[in-house]
Amino acid sequence: MYEATQSADEAGMFAAGRRLGLDHLKLGMWLFLASEVMFFGGLISAFLHFKINNPSPESAFLDVVLVGLNTFVLLTSSLTVVLGLAAIQRGDRRGLIGYLAATILLGTAFLVGQANEFALLYRHGISLSSSLFGSSFFTLTGFHGLHVFVGICWALSTLFKAVRSGYSQGSYLGVEVFGLYWHFVDIVWIILFTLIYLI
Amino acid sequence: MQMDTRSPSKPRAGIRTYLVVFLGLAVITGVEIGLATVGLSRSFRAPIFVVLSLAKASLVAAFYMHLRSDSRFFTAIFVTPVVLILAVAVLFVIA
Amino acid sequence: MSMSTEAMAPGGGWRRYFTWNTDHKVIGVQYLVTTFCFFLIGGLLAMLVRAELAQPGPDFLNGTEFNRFLTNHGSVMLFLWIIPVLAGFGNYLVPLMIGSRDMAFPNMNALSYWLIPPAGLIMLASFFVGAAEAGWTAYAPLSIQTPVGQTLWAVSVMILGTSSLLGAVNFVTTVFTMRAEGMTFWRLPLFVWGMLATSLLVLLATPVLTAGLVLIAMDRMAGTLFFSASNGGDPILWQNMFWFYSHPAVYIMVLPAMGIVSEVYPVFSRKPIFGYKAIAMSSMAISILGLTVWAHHMFTSGMDPRLRIPYMISSMIIAVPTGIKIFSWLATIWDGKIRFTTPMLFALGFISMFLIGGITGIFLAAIPIDLHVHDTYFVVAHLHFVLFGGSVSAVYAGLYYWFPKITGRMYDERLGKVHFVANFVGTNLTYLPMFLAGLLGMPRRVSDYSPEFTTLNLLATLGAFLLGTSALPFIYNAVVSWVSGPKAAANPWRALTLEWQTDSPPPAENFHQLPVVSSGPYDYGRPLAVPGQAQAVPAAGD
Repeated sequence: MYEATQSADEAGMFAAGRRLGLDHLKLGMWLFLASEVMFFGGLISAFLHFKINNPSPESAFLDVVLVGLNTFVLLTSSLTVVLGLAAIQRGDRRGLIGYLAATILLGTAFLVGQANEFALLYRHGISLSSSLFGSSFFTLTGFHGLHVFVGICWALSTLFKAVRSGYSQGSYLGVEVFGLYWHFVDIVWIILFTLIYLI
Repeated sequence: MQMDTRSPSKPRAGIRTYLVVFLGLAVITGVEIGLATVGLSRSFRAPIFVVLSLAKASLVAAFYMHLRSDSRFFTAIFVTPVVLILAVAVLFVIA
Repeated sequence: MSMSTEAMAPGGGWRRYFTWNTDHKVIGVQYLVTTFCFFLIGGLLAMLVRAELAQPGPDFLNGTEFNRFLTNHGSVMLFLWIIPVLAGFGNYLVPLMIGSRDMAFPNMNALSYWLIPPAGLIMLASFFVGAAEAGWTAYAPLSIQTPVGQTLWAVSVMILGTSSLLGAVNFVTTVFTMRAEGMTFWRLPLFVWGMLATSLLVLLATPVLTAGLVLIAMDRMAGTLFFSASNGGDPILWQNMFWFYSHPAVYIMVLPAMGIVSEVYPVFSRKPIFGYKAIAMSSMAISILGLTVWAHHMFTSGMDPRLRIPYMISSMIIAVPTGIKIFSWLATIWDGKIRFTTPMLFALGFISMFLIGGITGIFLAAIPIDLHVHDTYFVVAHLHFVLFGGSVSAVYAGLYYWFPKITGRMYDERLGKVHFVANFVGTNLTYLPMFLAGLLGMPRRVSDYSPEFTTLNLLATLGAFLLGTSALPFIYNAVVSWVSGPKAAANPWRALTLEWQTDSPPPAENFHQLPVVSSGPYDYGRPLAVPGQAQAVPAAGD
């Protein structure tokens, strides 16, 4: 009786949000992502400041095709995340597990691809301290890679919870919130790929 | 204790939509890599690339992050810093 | 529905304040007490600086030591005191004011608090390895070349920024999703509006500073070249990234303070607030405009002269919503039945001191004036009038006003008045001479000065020591009253906002019964039993 009262009260706790169509966990994540837009935006502004005011011939060493393929890998991982969410929304726990595993593999593949690109540039003598180009390239892509790594850890944690049957057709908010973070990291890469490699 | 997270008024996208969006993302990426390797003048390509990347980002945000079907407030929360940082980037570059 | 009595017991003793506790009221007190300790440390650093400056010529500090005390005075006061103390008020009050049982993310709330003590220790520990000495503004390339303490400074500020950011996520989510039934946005207390406007700035501006600090840290530790001009780097980029946050930061430091005094004026004038919507919307306007003015700190940096003009214009426009608020507050007090309690005295002190600070801010916004007084004591006077005369007065007003609610006991009113008089006199004595010194040409951040400024500096030092002493009656009052002061009623001020409709201190779950709201928070002087306009349901024990 007390539990029913307590959970009913808990349900009541966020009634104002529900009336606005705002789940509090999703709202919290969107607000956090807004701050991440500003964080990456700050780093991107610094990168662009130097790219435009001090263009460097070293950018010729950037491998557009290789990293373009890597971009494709990360985009695919966004697909697997959203398919995983769709799976659990129809109660398919095994589908969720499969798609999360695929996401982790694809995310890891992306990081391996990035490491490859970093090593390639390093062999040309470009590092954090070798030049301004090196400083801004590695800092910007490095922080993005760090965010991917955090995402992979979160995906693993979500996977473990899915294996323990922590999500169901009526309870999948954690998967959705993880998805928001992952898609955001993908969007950041879409922008980074354009600004660093294409333009 | 989970609440239904969907906005009651707008239906969510289905698997077919996700796959079509993915196809769009893949095609645009292919076009980008193609254009980059073809060797057109840089200043001509730049606006095209910017538009293409914004298109990809919008697709992911609208369909994969469900901005299209969720509360408009989430879209406002996402778009506001994007607009702000565009202005800031310009000012940081020219200052 | 009601909760069991065990859940309502507010007990737990003083020990719970030293633990990871998710109750927003405990966290709020942790914030208030911890930040006040940093206030005292920042004040001590100020008195060391002022002692050195009492006379021209070196007295007991060399230039480097002076710069270190000065830098950390500013950094401690801004990052470890005024920004987090206002977050502390927000933490304690927002759930109560909106009629909810806690914040949206209680564990993240505890994290926000617990990031502060280690960050503070890191910043102060820097004194053992060569403290930061490049001013709180840490301009490159100096901040890249200084000893290791500067890196500790950068790390500390990044941690505090994270704490602040998580808090902002919590505040916005809480207000949007946890308001009690009937608590519409237009019935929110103005303090909550202030916290919303502040949170917008924290979310949008803090991350850019974090990005800049990352670049500073990388230049210092990883050999990157971002701010190394000889390698193509650009020190002006740091100024842009720094001020993009640090200007909105001053609104982060004042918007909640304005919210506090907005609560105090109607209660102690027994009148509804004048221009509720105007004040609420002005808070949002100040917030949004505050993101557009930052380069007014860079007028002398060598930036393109034409680019300075839009910043001058936006910096002047922001005076308009500020002025709307001041006139609304005056109209609130006008013809009211004013009770000069200690919170009201400090709130009145706020309005007069902030006015001086604010108007001199408009002088500074004018490029031709700024070119002459930039980096002089005119700026030091301006910033201390708004931050100390303004925000700190409001903090004191809030501490006295909500003291009975938080502690369940009443403070000593006479000691409060003594504190107010000493504080008010001290503030004016310390900072008014600085306006003159700046206009006459005395630069800031100097440990020595030309002898013609001696009298003005001596006056400022006397004022500073008076200020330092004035904290003593407050500390004594707070401690002794908390331990053994007379028990306070649930609503000793007969206020109408929701936090006063529950016990003092509130029970663990805030309200025995969640309130249902049917009127605004400032309907003073209006008849109670008007059909369809009943007050919020009062708690038992009022």
